[in-house]
Amino acid sequence: MLPLNPIVVILHKEPQETKARRYQRILEEHLGLQSLVFEDISYESSLEDCPLDEDEDAFQGLGEEDEEIDQFNDDTFGSGAVDDDWQEAHERLAELEEKLPAAVNEQTGNGERDEMDLLGDHEENLAERLSKMVIENELEDPAIMTAVQTRPVLQPQPGSLNSSIWDGSEVLRRIRGPLLAQEMPAVSVLEYALPQRTPQAPEDDRDLSERALPRRSTSPVIGSPPVRAVPIGTPPKQMAVPSFNQQILCPKPVHVRPPMPPRYPAPYGERMSPNQLCSVPNSSLLGHPFPPSVPPVLSPLQRAQLLGGAQLQPGRMSPSQFARVPGFVGSPLAAAMNPKLLQGRVGQMLPPAPGFRAFFSAPPPATPPPPQQHPPGPGPHLQNLRSQAPMFRPDTTHLHPQHRRLLHQRQQQNRNQHRNLNGAGDRGSHRSSHHDHLRKDPYANLMLQREKDWVSKIQMMQLQSTDPYLDDFYYQNYFEKLEKLSAAEEVQGDGPKKERTKLITPQVAKLEHTYKPVQFEGSLGKLTVSSVNNPRKMIDAVVTSRSEDDETKEKQVRDKRRKTLVIIEKTYSLLLDVEDYERRYLLSLEEERPALMEERKHKICSMYDNLRGKLPGQERPSDDHFVQIMCIRKGKRMVARILPFLSTEQAADILMTTARSLPFLIKKDAQDEVLPCLLSPFSLLVYHLPSVTVTSLLQQLMNLPQSAAAPAPSNPHLTAVLQNKFGLSLLLVVLSRGEDLQSSDPAAESTQNNQWTEVMFTATQELLRIPQAALAKPLSIPTNLVSLFSRYVDRQKLNLLETKLQLVQGIR
Amino acid sequence: MNYMPGTASLIEDIDKKHLVLLRDGRTLIGFLRSIDQFANLVLHQTVERIHVGKKYGDIPRGIFVVRGENVVLLGEIDLEKESDTPLQQVSIEEILEEQRVEQQTRLEAEKLKVQALKDRDDEATAFS
Repeated sequence: MLPLNPIVVILHKEPQETKARRYQRILEEHLGLQSLVFEDISYESSLEDCPLDEDEDAFQGLGEEDEEIDQFNDDTFGSGAVDDDWQEAHERLAELEEKLPAAVNEQTGNGERDEMDLLGDHEENLAERLSKMVIENELEDPAIMTAVQTRPVLQPQPGSLNSSIWDGSEVLRRIRGPLLAQEMPAVSVLEYALPQRTPQAPEDDRDLSERALPRRSTSPVIGSPPVRAVPIGTPPKQMAVPSFNQQILCPKPVHVRPPMPPRYPAPYGERMSPNQLCSVPNSSLLGHPFPPSVPPVLSPLQRAQLLGGAQLQPGRMSPSQFARVPGFVGSPLAAAMNPKLLQGRVGQMLPPAPGFRAFFSAPPPATPPPPQQHPPGPGPHLQNLRSQAPMFRPDTTHLHPQHRRLLHQRQQQNRNQHRNLNGAGDRGSHRSSHHDHLRKDPYANLMLQREKDWVSKIQMMQLQSTDPYLDDFYYQNYFEKLEKLSAAEEVQGDGPKKERTKLITPQVAKLEHTYKPVQFEGSLGKLTVSSVNNPRKMIDAVVTSRSEDDETKEKQVRDKRRKTLVIIEKTYSLLLDVEDYERRYLLSLEEERPALMEERKHKICSMYDNLRGKLPGQERPSDDHFVQIMCIRKGKRMVARILPFLSTEQAADILMTTARSLPFLIKKDAQDEVLPCLLSPFSLLVYHLPSVTVTSLLQQLMNLPQSAAAPAPSNPHLTAVLQNKFGLSLLLVVLSRGEDLQSSDPAAESTQNNQWTEVMFTATQELLRIPQAALAKPLSIPTNLVSLFSRYVDRQKLNLLETKLQLVQGIR
Repeated sequence: MNYMPGTASLIEDIDKKHLVLLRDGRTLIGFLRSIDQFANLVLHQTVERIHVGKKYGDIPRGIFVVRGENVVLLGEIDLEKESDTPLQQVSIEEILEEQRVEQQTRLEAEKLKVQALKDRDDEATAFS
């Protein structure tokens, strides 16, 4: 009976495990072997033995998962290889890239694991090996760090890579940061990070399972990288134990790393099939004695070649440094991994870590523009947005294969995209200069693509909404307007379609949640716990109404104003709803539409009632209510917006009321000057009014006496109207309408005609009386006024009127 | 890759030179290296620029990590137009001195104002 997580089991027993057993286990779980006879392995001879205590069956379970992994790597078992010409390896890599199959569809969820290893399987194996090399805590312990940095070359390997290369502890620390950001811990650079093991590392014999959590605090709140139950450096479940690789580096026994938490990356099946990987054009990979399901093995030489080839930025790692890599004969993985990892890391973020001194001595002077090196590199403008400088292939050995795959896809996509967009419009020159700058910027891309995607993902999540129109009204409206504009332009201009990339916010379905308050068991009665979903009344506030007598005049006035404000607010809400009906109508189903219309009508009626005051009796009450609303700036704007929705009668009523109280309103509007906003809807209305209404309207406006009897000596009403921009404009509009009616329908009823004529006579008299200085400048002057006046006045007076009202263009 | 078009996401601003105005009035100029969802910023090769009148002085500060809530605004600096300024760069000592002088004059003016108000208040109470 196998334990659920065999690795855990092993771990506990780990201290007593023999080296041989450990390797056997590693290989089995890592390489998917059912039973591996270890004795033949040459390595074992150099290893110490420890007593074994485990259940062998446990290993089988592990092994089953990793059937596709390469079993016998020359890296692992054979001797390390001498490095080859990196350029040759690079070319081979280039071929490899072409042949890599398009893997699964890119899943946005896996977007974080976006560093694709172009070498495919080989990197996979490497990655797994790398994972074994990292001992998490060593990276953090400053003592170790310094020790690591100063320590000489790892002993067992002749001519091995200078440990300083490995001293990217700080780099690794940095690497860890962004990696933590991954929600899927599938790929963590740390897991594949440089080995920190030193020959003298005292903690070799430590039980890794007892390792404390990383020193760096990680809070479980969103906004920090996710908390990991196990130390960062723990390898993925399928990845085997680091100790094996550590053995490579240092002969002392090393304990198995703690197991990965269950929330590990995609099961093996999701990875690239080994058959795909077999298509690598490296002859030594084929013809392996092991079953074809097992991916071919790369000899260390080939691996190094591939890795070296992957380094497309010679500036980053000088060939001399690279030559040192394969010197790591005994630790082919390390050898293969190091340059690639560092190169990759270096490509993505070039930290000025002291550990990288060795590297950085070379790169700064020798950093040629990458695009020239790499043929399929995208245009210079790409660099800007691509954190993974596509100019070289980043080291993705450490990455989870799926992550690698996705990254590769994305890179290719972007490359294609940017190639297509190359030279698009204004991008070119600006970008190129910027790209030049970026290219020379050794600190570029400190923030990994993965991290950018992570932040972007969070930001997108924040935009999720069930009803974008409700949550983000202005944004939606703005973009609708933009689109309408561009659509209109397109229709007119018929020019090239400007592709405006629109942000597509994730839409979340509305879920009805019924909240059930928490109930405690064993409590007497119901304990109510107040929460945001279940708020509890905290204050028992009682409203006491004051009696009328107590109030002072001021208070009354204040209260009245407040009541008016409340009415305005309520009416405004109705107005917003009514304005929204059109959109809702379009979105709704057929059955719902009549109901919507009814609602809308009802709301419009309520709005009108609110404006004019409730019907106390038959007659409309005094204009007072309406005038109060109109005294407030918001009220005026609201009336302007409501008018289009009202029926003609209702609107005419409003207009009349306004005309009646216009001087008062003008006085009140002196500070706000909002009345002109009403001109437009009023004008529209006036042009629909019948003659009778127009006549009475004119009378109202000018406060003309009802009878043609002796006019009052002065007409303050009219004066006020004429002195105000809005008033004068409205007057002119009304006059214009009257003229239209007259001219269009000469055979109209005589009574109407007479009335109009009478009114006009009086009107002209009044107008003549008004001194010109008192006139305001109207917003717009209708063109037919001259003809209007010409009917009623003689030539002389007409000229006078013209001058006064500036009706003739020339006078202006 | 066009990150979130139509939004104010900082992702596309990464690795570019920015001018950041902080809530305490400081002006930082540096390369924006890293961000997070709170708009916490990591500025590289940061320089604190002090402006006094037509003069300014730069104090090199290194790497800054700015908490997002302390940022008033930030904007990308056009490297080509960066040198195109009517302002005159002076040494750090000089600008600090200028700043101190400006601060002093401001404090004195403030003091006078307060004193004037107090006097007016005293007058008013004296009359009533």
